[in-house]
Amino acid sequence: MSTVADPDAALMLRVKQGDRDAFEVLVEKYKQPVMNLVYRTLPDAAEAEDLAQHVFLQVFKSAHRYEVAAKFTTWLFTIARNLCLNEIRRRSRHPAESLDETFADNDDQPIRQPEDLRTFSPPDSLLHGELEEKIEEALAELPEKQRTAILMCRGDEFSYEDIAEVLECSVSATKSLIHRGRETLKQKLKPYLKTGAWKEK
Amino acid sequence: MNESEYQALMEASWRRPLTDEEQARLDAWLRAHPAAQNEWEAEAALNRLLEQLPEAPLASNFTARVLQAVERKSATLERRESVLDHVKRWFWRPAPRFAWALVVAGLLGFGYHQHQTNVTNQVAKGLSVMANVATLSDPVVLQDFEAIQRLAKSAPGDDDELYAVLNQP
Repeated sequence: MSTVADPDAALMLRVKQGDRDAFEVLVEKYKQPVMNLVYRTLPDAAEAEDLAQHVFLQVFKSAHRYEVAAKFTTWLFTIARNLCLNEIRRRSRHPAESLDETFADNDDQPIRQPEDLRTFSPPDSLLHGELEEKIEEALAELPEKQRTAILMCRGDEFSYEDIAEVLECSVSATKSLIHRGRETLKQKLKPYLKTGAWKEK
Repeated sequence: MNESEYQALMEASWRRPLTDEEQARLDAWLRAHPAAQNEWEAEAALNRLLEQLPEAPLASNFTARVLQAVERKSATLERRESVLDHVKRWFWRPAPRFAWALVVAGLLGFGYHQHQTNVTNQVAKGLSVMANVATLSDPVVLQDFEAIQRLAKSAPGDDDELYAVLNQP
């Protein structure tokens, strides 16, 4: 029997067999990274959360098609990015419709439920108020590909090859996207970078 | 260290803190290239800003809601499958199977009947053509056919010309 080196891929193969516990482990592990990406593409917390839920629902629905050809995270983030792009396109065509209408798909109830005892993660103590707002604004103004590349580039989870696969471009194009995005961010956040205001927060 | 190695270190710093060894190589490079110092400081400052970007807000019941959605989706699929199974089971009971066999036999009979009707019609059409050939005029009637055809082409003005035409070999 062949062994799967990527533990997430091994979990996903269990999901493919209908294992709900394995699916729950994957949701727990990746809900925050997925939400981080979705929230910075659709900066409305409730809608971003609905979309993030649909990312995982899509993962479950597509489990039977999953092959261990690529890293699980690359597959997951490709789904997340595609759903975000679909939502952006849909909004440009039908600005008044809600996400629930988009994903109704014959489900009996909308996914968003009225009772939601939200407990948001505690904000990072280092970044508050104006500075945090400025960073989010600067990120939001970046072209989608540059923003996604920069967000995926934070941390060790994704290699440049993984990011390139999600963005459907070459590794050199990915690095170029990150470089250009960072140059824009440096320009927009120049006063904070220069004064080191972020250090005092 | 050369320029491309410096670039590689910068790209590494976008994703993770540099190791001690990498930092030492970078420091040596910056000492040798003071012009790169400002660029590096800006990169490092942006790295710190992006590292400290807060997590997006996430409801505590997020996972539970995803699992509920999955349950609902599975239930819908199971309902559809059960309807299909029901239809299949019904189909394989004796009475529906007999009825289905009757329908197939009826269709085959109807098709054969249609085929026979078509063949009969075609034979009747052929016979009717043959009957028309049998009633054609006597060939003697056509003995001056070529002369009459030439007459039509030359369009003669009077009876002499007509006579000449008729006497042509």
